[in-house]
Amino acid sequence: MNSIIALSLFGIANLFLGFLNNRKILLPATLAFVLVALGLNLADWNQEYLWFNNMLRTNNLSVNFASVILVATFLVVAVSRGFGDDEEHTHPAEYYAIMLFSVVGAIMMVTFENLIMLFVGLEILSVSMYILTGTDKRNLRSNEAALKYFLMGAFATGILLFGIALIYGATGSFNIHGIEALVLTAAGGSAPALLYIGIVMVIIGLLFKVSAAPFHFWTPDVYEGAPAIFTAFMSTVVKTAGFAALFRLLGGAFTGVYGTWIYILYFLTMLTLIIGNITAVYQQSFKRMLAYSSISHAGYLMLTATAKVAHTQSSILFYSLAYSVATISAFAVLMVVAETKESNAEKTNENFDIFNGLAKNNPLLAFVLTVSMLSLAGIPLTAGFWGKFFIFSDAFQRGIVVPLVVAVLMSAVGIYYYFKAIISAYFKEGDVPAIELKPIYKITLIVTTLLTIVLGIAPDLVKSIF
Amino acid sequence: MQFWYFLTALTLLSALMVVLSKNPIHSVLYLVFTFFCISGHYVLLNAQFLMAVNIIVYAGAIMVLFLFVIMMLDLRRNMPDSKSNLTKLAGAILGGTLLVILVAVMRKTQFPQFSQMGGKFDTQTGMVENLGQVLFRDYLLPFELVSILFFVAMVGAVMLGKREAGERNF
Repeated sequence: MNSIIALSLFGIANLFLGFLNNRKILLPATLAFVLVALGLNLADWNQEYLWFNNMLRTNNLSVNFASVILVATFLVVAVSRGFGDDEEHTHPAEYYAIMLFSVVGAIMMVTFENLIMLFVGLEILSVSMYILTGTDKRNLRSNEAALKYFLMGAFATGILLFGIALIYGATGSFNIHGIEALVLTAAGGSAPALLYIGIVMVIIGLLFKVSAAPFHFWTPDVYEGAPAIFTAFMSTVVKTAGFAALFRLLGGAFTGVYGTWIYILYFLTMLTLIIGNITAVYQQSFKRMLAYSSISHAGYLMLTATAKVAHTQSSILFYSLAYSVATISAFAVLMVVAETKESNAEKTNENFDIFNGLAKNNPLLAFVLTVSMLSLAGIPLTAGFWGKFFIFSDAFQRGIVVPLVVAVLMSAVGIYYYFKAIISAYFKEGDVPAIELKPIYKITLIVTTLLTIVLGIAPDLVKSIF
Repeated sequence: MQFWYFLTALTLLSALMVVLSKNPIHSVLYLVFTFFCISGHYVLLNAQFLMAVNIIVYAGAIMVLFLFVIMMLDLRRNMPDSKSNLTKLAGAILGGTLLVILVAVMRKTQFPQFSQMGGKFDTQTGMVENLGQVLFRDYLLPFELVSILFFVAMVGAVMLGKREAGERNF
């Protein structure tokens, strides 16, 4: 809760820092702001609070989710390099401010106790993302992506809001614990049909935000069109917040009518896994491949978000953390490598072939890319392996066999397209000049890589906290 | 009760005319009329504040903006291509299915009767004073945080709206 207030003020402070005409201080200031917010967030550890007339609830679960979101934000800000020295076309103060505001929305989505807070949080997060998608104003792809995202997102929000209204009509409550109690008493058969339609509509709205099939059509275009740094932000923070919200609703408020939505979700999980993984195989663009990979990771997370078992939340948290860290380092490598190619071609090139021969002159970048790809593919000794392991063992214990088999098969497909990047970095001929990295960039890359490996060797370090 | 039926028929009729009229300016004017009818429903529901806000914001500000945009676009020149029959059929089936589902749900749902809710009628429910008390006491936090939402939208509008020098690329 305090982190929400702090981040709102920091965002405004960031806009004022923009007046100083000094681009150098914005990056350290934003990093400090995120760290302060992280500290304030951790201060709520081991305490259970309800804030402002049952609007927000902070407990260990919400602190964990908010921490994962803030760590991802910190890493993304650390690799943003102050948005370059191009005075005319970038506005770092506004970008950082909007990023901080969007984290306010994300934290609201993990701490909400009232569906109104969920809606407001989701809107803050989404509106920030629409803006950040369109920040590369001279790029037509970016303009297209922003417009597409805005129109589709507004539609999904409308569906979500309609669902919330129907649930309110059926239960007379916005409070998720109130809804849970009413749903449990009504589950005997007396539940009004409005409730079921409302639940399905809310689930559709949230699945759109986490880009699960068949609501994923915006994802590849938006991820490709947005500047890479914001794609990294979008694919980590939005996904974590969306799954936190989905888990709190499915594992909490809607458990009473489990039978009505669980088979729909199993079906959508399998669809998401198959579409995400199979389509990713055919992509030439690395960024587009990462977009489809984010769809497929949504599928893995959906496999476990439907449960209400004590250790489910730790599985989701661990998976989100592993996925965020690996995705951010992949995008960080992509950004610096794509820049070396941009200077000699009009078109921005973000295909796999830009990594050709990366290892020759840039062994560090090639290693970081390799570790992140291995982690996303789920190879042992990386964090991604344990993320998948926890999710699959959860699914196995709950006896959901068919989606589990699909998930295992599809993660085998995943290895193919993740290894394409590694192969072009190490075994293909090409000329990537030695890239000079700023110290903070280098440190961030090393930290994310180390985190991936350490969590891969000793997952209990974090898993025991979650 | 008779007045309610009259108002509802008027609302539905004007809403249908929004879709059916060929001239887009007529559509907008019918939409304004629909908003007025809905405001009438708010009065019947004892929600005077919502009635006023609905007229000021929707019928006033937004629809005038809408009208300006339509007049500026010169629709006679930029007529959208009419849809193929297959699209029309698909749209009709989708919309019709949703309508059937919603009607079925409304029929099945047991809305609580007035007598079941305690039978108390508070004439002051929809007044500005009570609304303000609920808004600033029970719903203070969402009310304040919505300002962040508007602020983000404002910052984004200013940032994206500024004209950018330089070549466009793809």
